[in-house]
Amino acid sequence: MSFQLPYQDTKPQGAADFYFAINATFRFIHARLGRAGWVRYLQEMGQGYFAPVNEAWRSGGLPVVAAYWRAFFAAEPGAEVEVRETNEEVILEVRKCPAIHHLREQAREIVPFYCEHCYHLNHARAEAAGLAMRLQGGAGQCRHVFSRKFATPQDMNAIRTC
Amino acid sequence: MLGCYDFCGHYDWTFEWLQEQGGDTLLRDYWREAIAGDSQRHAAQLIETLGFEGMKKYWAHTLEEEAAGYTLTTRGDVARIDMHDCPSKGFLLRNGINHSADYCDHCIGWIGPVMEKAGFTIDHEHNHCGQCWWEMRKKGDETPASETGDLSAADVRVAPNWKSGDFPLDKFEKSTSAEEKNPQPISAPTRPDSR
Repeated sequence: MSFQLPYQDTKPQGAADFYFAINATFRFIHARLGRAGWVRYLQEMGQGYFAPVNEAWRSGGLPVVAAYWRAFFAAEPGAEVEVRETNEEVILEVRKCPAIHHLREQAREIVPFYCEHCYHLNHARAEAAGLAMRLQGGAGQCRHVFSRKFATPQDMNAIRTC
Repeated sequence: MLGCYDFCGHYDWTFEWLQEQGGDTLLRDYWREAIAGDSQRHAAQLIETLGFEGMKKYWAHTLEEEAAGYTLTTRGDVARIDMHDCPSKGFLLRNGINHSADYCDHCIGWIGPVMEKAGFTIDHEHNHCGQCWWEMRKKGDETPASETGDLSAADVRVAPNWKSGDFPLDKFEKSTSAEEKNPQPISAPTRPDSR
């Protein structure tokens, strides 16, 4: 199954220097509005800005979730990610996170909580689609799992700091 | 994960979110501190140390990477950019994304503080349709902005769609801040980047 990203650009991949701005935005919001404000920013973005994708996930289920992530990472420069799907879950094996890789390569100071954003953002998106999400690892390599439900809550200690 | 492919989309959404949290003050602080002072520190460093040459180096790299339709002209005491097809605003227009009150203000919001620190001021206009021009001169140089076509054969102001008659141009004179906007309404109140 293929998936067309809701927003299309004229070039096949984004500009990696935009990861600088994402990292800087996290630092600013965390400093000005605190951790709770930063988490709320991500949750509200997940429910608001990503609503068109959430709706596609809700209506298409896990096969659409898998197809979305394949299309998403194909458009992120330098990403090395395997997307696997079963009847029960979609697993993203991130072998080379494009953001962490670029920020490190360009000697940028990465906010230590950078990898947590994937959980707060993607869990909010998954919930809006009637799913749940768990994250393990971080700092360049991690595993995301999307499923209808999990037996245990997210262990925040399973997410590495940068 | 927040990606770079649709960065301009969630960047625009972020402007509106910040404005809701803390008004214009928080949004302008964001452009100055997070974008000018952190994300784009490489631009600031180039321009502070190399002046006009640094501007050429920075924009040649970044606008090429973003696949912009632009020209950059330098003549001794002025650097001019004519943006005919802004990749950032163009992404929003093509995809119907329209969260913040004036997306185009983010450019002077971060470039202004960079130029101020480096000792330059800016003359600038944007038409909210992915077209704008910029002239950077040393602080204290009171030379007015050039007349149309005087500095560049690719002056965006001669483009047939520069003043469509439908949208107000936003103008900045010897400015380094998004606060110093001089709106020049043309006719219709609705422009493509207002909600």
